[in-house]
Amino acid sequence: MTLSEGARLEMLDSLHWGVLDLAKCGDRDGLSIRHSVEWEGRSLLKALVKKSALCGEQVHILGCEVSEEEFREGFDSDINNRLVYHDFFRDPLNWSETGEALPGGPLGALRAMCKRTDLGPVTIALDSLSWLLLHLPCATLCQTLHAVSHQDSCPLGDGSPVGKVHVLGLLHEELHGPGPMGALSSLAQTEVTLGGTMGQASARILCRRPRQHPTDQTQWFSILPDFSLDLQAGPSIESQPHSDPHIPPVDPTAHLTFNLHLSKKEREARDSLTLPFQFSSEKQEALLRPRPSQATSHIFYEPDAYDDLDQEDPDDDLDV
Amino acid sequence: MAAVATCGGDAGSAGSAVATASKSNVTSFQRRGPRVSGTNDSGPRLVSITGTRPSVRNGQLLVSTGLPALDQLLGGGLAVGTVLLIEEDKYNIYSSLLFKYFLAEGIVNGHTLLVASANEDPANILQELPAPLLDDNCKKEFDEDVYNHKTPESNIKMKIAWRYQLLPKMEIGPVSSSRFGHYYDASKRIPQELIEASKWHGFFLPEKISSTLKVEPCSLTHGYIKLLQFIQNIICEEGFDGSNPQKKQKNILRIGIQNLGSPLWGDDICCTENGDSSHSLTKFLYVLRGLLRTSLSACIITMPTHLIQNKAFIAHVTNLSDVVVGLESFIGSERETNPLYKDYHGLIHIRQIPRLNNLFCDESDVKDLGFKLKRKLFTIEVDSISL
Repeated sequence: MTLSEGARLEMLDSLHWGVLDLAKCGDRDGLSIRHSVEWEGRSLLKALVKKSALCGEQVHILGCEVSEEEFREGFDSDINNRLVYHDFFRDPLNWSETGEALPGGPLGALRAMCKRTDLGPVTIALDSLSWLLLHLPCATLCQTLHAVSHQDSCPLGDGSPVGKVHVLGLLHEELHGPGPMGALSSLAQTEVTLGGTMGQASARILCRRPRQHPTDQTQWFSILPDFSLDLQAGPSIESQPHSDPHIPPVDPTAHLTFNLHLSKKEREARDSLTLPFQFSSEKQEALLRPRPSQATSHIFYEPDAYDDLDQEDPDDDLDV
Repeated sequence: MAAVATCGGDAGSAGSAVATASKSNVTSFQRRGPRVSGTNDSGPRLVSITGTRPSVRNGQLLVSTGLPALDQLLGGGLAVGTVLLIEEDKYNIYSSLLFKYFLAEGIVNGHTLLVASANEDPANILQELPAPLLDDNCKKEFDEDVYNHKTPESNIKMKIAWRYQLLPKMEIGPVSSSRFGHYYDASKRIPQELIEASKWHGFFLPEKISSTLKVEPCSLTHGYIKLLQFIQNIICEEGFDGSNPQKKQKNILRIGIQNLGSPLWGDDICCTENGDSSHSLTKFLYVLRGLLRTSLSACIITMPTHLIQNKAFIAHVTNLSDVVVGLESFIGSERETNPLYKDYHGLIHIRQIPRLNNLFCDESDVKDLGFKLKRKLFTIEVDSISL
């Protein structure tokens, strides 16, 4: 199966629209990247963060799983200067009690982002959402994420609109049961599930807009060393195993012991047949307009095609 | 002269009698004896509330759900004082449409609305209600829809025996605006003046709870307690429970609660199997039903039951509600491309119909129903595959 040139470009455009240019996916955006052990998702997250930073948005990172140095690795210095990093990896329970740890943990940091005063679009990257899900109650996390991503609907006191908020979350598929996954899926605007075959990564993008049908598309991609995204067509055709060889459709009426086909004459005869319980016009009229002069019981007889009307000899049709 | 004088005198007294009669708005004859002012339901006059009608079966007061086809399946409509629970489809497209039809029906009939939601501002929900189809243009549009639907299939229609022609159809023609049940155009928005003329109360959960409040653990989730208190206040203040007898015109309160049980309400029933607040939702439904039974109100609740992990819990919830309707849409499933189901967008399951003051309930004979969202109308039809 080959993709035509036009279709391929359209998919490229739609991925740009759907993943990289997050603002197009609606005013409110929550995007969750589901990855598994085989297909790593942090590089995609970093690629999206880089893209947002290059667009001029303010980027906040909640780092819980990897250290700050490891996260910043691979970014060049101007991007690193734009990232605001909240570190919860080094001291998640705030044991060192220094002033630099944020109060309230990651939940407090998220809530503080709800009450921000500066305008302009913001991207918040959660690395990772799985860590937050394991350490916080699911319902509280869902409520806080919803509040953070919907703050543009509640404008500031002076009436100026707050810029759009995009929330990106990284989720490890194998760690959670269907309950939390389902709850977060229903909350997220876009869900990107990573998979792939034979060394090539693919992203299955499920985009649900509020009152429209969800769209589901798959895009092959690869991440370059400087964390920019390279979109590709699928893997080469010859290496793909053919799943089902071409089977001609079986005609079920081919080898029967009885005949199911009608000839033209038979079809005409069938169409001209009158059905047994159809009212003739005489009967219909008599029923609709009961005449008072009529006897109370009246027999309506519609002769069939094979009926014998000769009253004299009932055995006339016998071949004796 | 004397006659004129007496006429003048009589006219004066008659004038005052007429004046008092127009004030009490009943009749020009004054009854002797004490009479409570303001009430107009003394005597044999029936109190009729707009948008309601008594059921033919047992005289129960019914309101329309906004979809005449669904009203027919439920035995005429939704009884006042009961809960209609809609089990959401996976992407919450059709269940939110039914929710909006219910609210739009309330606006067209002049009922008071109470909209509660944890993820959307109620004012935004009201802006997106569908526009009602009124008499003059709705018949033309309805026929046009039916015509478009029927034409391509008429030439392959089978000539079958007469019995199938007598099968009752679920679709009924449009009714005039003064009667029970209206049709709505899902592609247009309700006119702004109708919303402004209506009376509504909104409950948006993030506004009502402040997240930094320290809440003691109790049996009901904090959000549910707030919602119950809000509903109870509205019912008491506006006299839907009959506590305010000076009110002349009785009205119905239509309550709509969206996405009940989702994590945004603070309930973890969708996240875990046996959570701490696993009985919170059932207690909420129990208290809500108590509030509804003692007031002139009807409630619609949409619940994402496909996310609930504990399947026995869904049975509890079904028992605590009165009417339960499940929606199953074909989006994303293999049935979407199945040619057998090409006429429908999904299946609708009537899971429960209540027995109110009755020994049996008014179930329809047909169990397999499919729904289809046509260009403008939402229709429910008998699933022809099962015939």
